Amino acid sequence: MKLRTAVPVALAAALVLAGCSPGSGGDAAGTGDGKSFEFWSFTGINQKASVDAYKAKHPDIEVKLTEVGTSVETAQSLTTALAGGKVPDLVLIQGDDLPKFVQQAQNFIDLRTLGADDIKGDYLDWVMSQSTAEGGEILGVPTDVGGMAVAYRTDLFAAAGLPTDREAVGALWPTWDAFIETGKTYKAATGKAFVDNAATSVFYQSVNQGPQKYYDDKGGVVYGSSPQVRTAFDQALKAVDAGITAGQSSFSNGWSAGMAQGQFATLAAPSWMLNAIRSNAPDTKGKWDIAVIPGKSGNWGGSYLAIPKRAKNPQAAWNYIKEMQSPQSQLEHFVDSGSLPTTPSVYQDPALAGHKDPFFSDAPTGTIYTSSLLGLKPFVIGPDSSTIGQEFLNAITNVEQGGGDPTKAWDEALKNIKTAIGK
Amino acid sequence: MTTTLSRARTAPPAPPPTGRPFRRLGERLAPYAYIAPFFVIFAVFGLFPLLFTFYVALFDWNPIGDHTFIGMDNFTRMLEDPRFWNAAGNTVSIWFLSTVPQLALALLLAHVLNHARLRFALFFRMSVLVPYITSVAATTIVFAQLFDRDYGLLNWLLGLVGVEAIDFTQSTWGSHVLIATMVLWRWFGYTTLLYLASLQAIPRDVFEAAAIDGASGWKQFRHITIPSLRPVIIFTVVTSTIGGLQIFTEPLLLSRSAPLTCGPIRQCQTLTLFLYEQGFGQFQFGYGSAIGVALFVLVVVVALINYLLSTRIRAER
Repeated sequence: MKLRTAVPVALAAALVLAGCSPGSGGDAAGTGDGKSFEFWSFTGINQKASVDAYKAKHPDIEVKLTEVGTSVETAQSLTTALAGGKVPDLVLIQGDDLPKFVQQAQNFIDLRTLGADDIKGDYLDWVMSQSTAEGGEILGVPTDVGGMAVAYRTDLFAAAGLPTDREAVGALWPTWDAFIETGKTYKAATGKAFVDNAATSVFYQSVNQGPQKYYDDKGGVVYGSSPQVRTAFDQALKAVDAGITAGQSSFSNGWSAGMAQGQFATLAAPSWMLNAIRSNAPDTKGKWDIAVIPGKSGNWGGSYLAIPKRAKNPQAAWNYIKEMQSPQSQLEHFVDSGSLPTTPSVYQDPALAGHKDPFFSDAPTGTIYTSSLLGLKPFVIGPDSSTIGQEFLNAITNVEQGGGDPTKAWDEALKNIKTAIGK
Repeated sequence: MTTTLSRARTAPPAPPPTGRPFRRLGERLAPYAYIAPFFVIFAVFGLFPLLFTFYVALFDWNPIGDHTFIGMDNFTRMLEDPRFWNAAGNTVSIWFLSTVPQLALALLLAHVLNHARLRFALFFRMSVLVPYITSVAATTIVFAQLFDRDYGLLNWLLGLVGVEAIDFTQSTWGSHVLIATMVLWRWFGYTTLLYLASLQAIPRDVFEAAAIDGASGWKQFRHITIPSLRPVIIFTVVTSTIGGLQIFTEPLLLSRSAPLTCGPIRQCQTLTLFLYEQGFGQFQFGYGSAIGVALFVLVVVVALINYLLSTRIRAER
C-alpha cells in the first residue's frame, strides 16, 4: 500500500525535476552589479595577495575569493559548476587541466570580445597558444609559468664532498646522465638518497624539455613513439636502478617529513615548488640553494584566468584580469610570492633580475627561472596529456616503490594508457 | 453461534455520515501527508538521481560538452575493462578483510561487555563508540601516518625487533589490510553495541541455568549467545556488506602520488573510487554511471541473498 502510492508520487517528482533541470538554472550572463565578482582559485598559489592589492586600489569593489582546494579539485568543481550549477565570474585553471576546457570552448567567454587582442602581445606566445581554442577564441590569460631548476641542500652536499656553489653545482650535471652520476657519488659518500623520487624529479622534468611530448604538432597522440618520452622514461628507470632515490612521492606525508629531515639532498623545483619547500621544511631555511636543471631549460605548470560563459559579472572580472595580469602587476606579484611572470618584457627588470631569495641562500631566483624559459621549445598539450603523464608516472613509481619489473614498465604504461584514453 | 450471527445481521445499520465529503477525504489523505516529507525528499535526492544514473549510463556524456546516445556501449566496455575487474576484486577483498574480523571481534567484545561481573561497564560500552564518531578523513590521515614506510610508528616498532620496514600503501595486500583495519576500527564499536543490545534481551536465568548445569563460558557463548543473536548477526552482515562495497574515503586519501587510483597499479582502487575517477577525473559521466549501475546491481544481489537467508532462519525458529 505504502509502496503503491509512493511510486507514482516519486515518479511525478522525478519528472518535474527532470523537466526543469537542463539549462533552466537560468542566470543570464552579465546580470550582476557589474563591479563586484566571485573568484575561484586554488590553494598554495597566493592569489589572495593579488586580490588584496586590487581591493586596496578599488575600495568600492567587492571580490569574493574562494580557495576551492588543490588545482585538480578546483578543476573538478568548475566542471560540476559548468555542467549545471552556479559558476564563478573568474576562475584559475592549472595548465595541465586547461586543454579539457579549451576543447569545450563554448563554456567560456571569448576574451577577444572584451579586448584580449590588445594585450595578448604582452605574454609569451607559446603560453598564450595553450589557452587559444581551435577557432581562435582566447579563453584564458596566463598568470604565471613554472620555469624549472633543481633545489639542493648545501650542507648535505658539503658533507658528501661535493661543491656547494650554485654555478659549480650546475656544472656537475649538464645532462640527466651526469645528474645520476652525481647521485651515485653522493650515495657512495653518505649512504643516503640523493633525490626525492624518480617519477616527478627525473621523468616529469626531462619529458618537459623536448620540442614534442605526448602530442605532435597536429594534435595526434605520439606518446608511444616520441623519442623524448622514451628517453625521459629510461632516465627515470636508470635513476631508480642506481638506488639514488628516496622513493618519496611528491606531496606525500613521507616526502614532507623526509624533506624536513634531510632524507634526500635534491629535488626538482619548478618556481612554484619553492613555496612548498618553505612551508614543509621551515627549519631548513638557508640550507638550500638552487642550481640550473640538467638540460638547461624547461617548463612545468603555470595557470590561467578564465571567465565562464554564464558569469554574472564578466566585465568586472575582465577589469581585474587586465589590471592584475599586466606586466607590471605580474612583476609585483613575483616579488611578493615568487610566481614567475608570463610577460617577457619584465624579465630584464632589476626588480626581477636582481631578486634574491634568503631561504635559498640568496639565490637569484628571477634570473635562474627566466633563463630556463628562454631556451624553451614549446610542445603541444592535448586533452589527455595529464592522464598520459599520470600513467607514465604510475609505471615508474611502481618500479621505484612497489618492486615492479623495470623491463616490463614501458609496455605496461603503454597498455594502461591505451585502456584509459582508448588510443 | 447462530444467535450472534443473526444478531449481527439484524443490528441497525451504521448512522449515515454527517461530515461533508470533503472533510472525509481530508481525513483519509492526512496520513499520506504525514509521511509525504520522507517520500518527497527520497524522490528528489534518492530516486531521481538513481533513475537519472540509469539514463546517463546509456550516453557518452561529457559534463561540459556533448551527450551522445551510445546504448549499451558503456556496459560492454566496462565488462572488457581490466580496471573494472581489478576494482571489483579489490572491493570484495577489502570487504572480506574488514567484515569477518569485525563481526567476530564485536561478538567477543559484546559477550565480555555483557558479563555480570564487569566493572565500569557503562564506560567501556560508551568508549567503543568513539571511533565511530571520529571523522573518516581524520582516521585515514592518522592511520596513513602510523603505517608510513619511513616515518610510521608501526614500522618503527617493527624495526626495534629487527623486522624490515613494510611499505603498506605500495603492495596490494598491504594496502588492503591497511584499509580494512581502518574500516574495522571505525565500525566494530557500532556492531558491538548492536550485539550487546540483543544480548541484554536474553534472560539472565538462561545463562545461570547453563552455568548450574556446568556449561563453561565457551559453551555458553557457543550454545546460547550465538543462536540467540542470529537475526542481528544477519542484519550486521548485510549492513556491513552494503557499506563495505561502497568504501571510498579511505582509499581516496591513502595515496598522495596517485589519489584517484589509490596507488600506481590501482592496488587499492575500489569500485566507488573507480567510478569517481572515470566520472570526475576523466569527465566520462556516462561510463562512471555505468559503473554506478554495476555497483547498484551488486548491492541488490547481496540484499536478495540476505532476504533468502533471513526468511530461512525465520522459518527454522
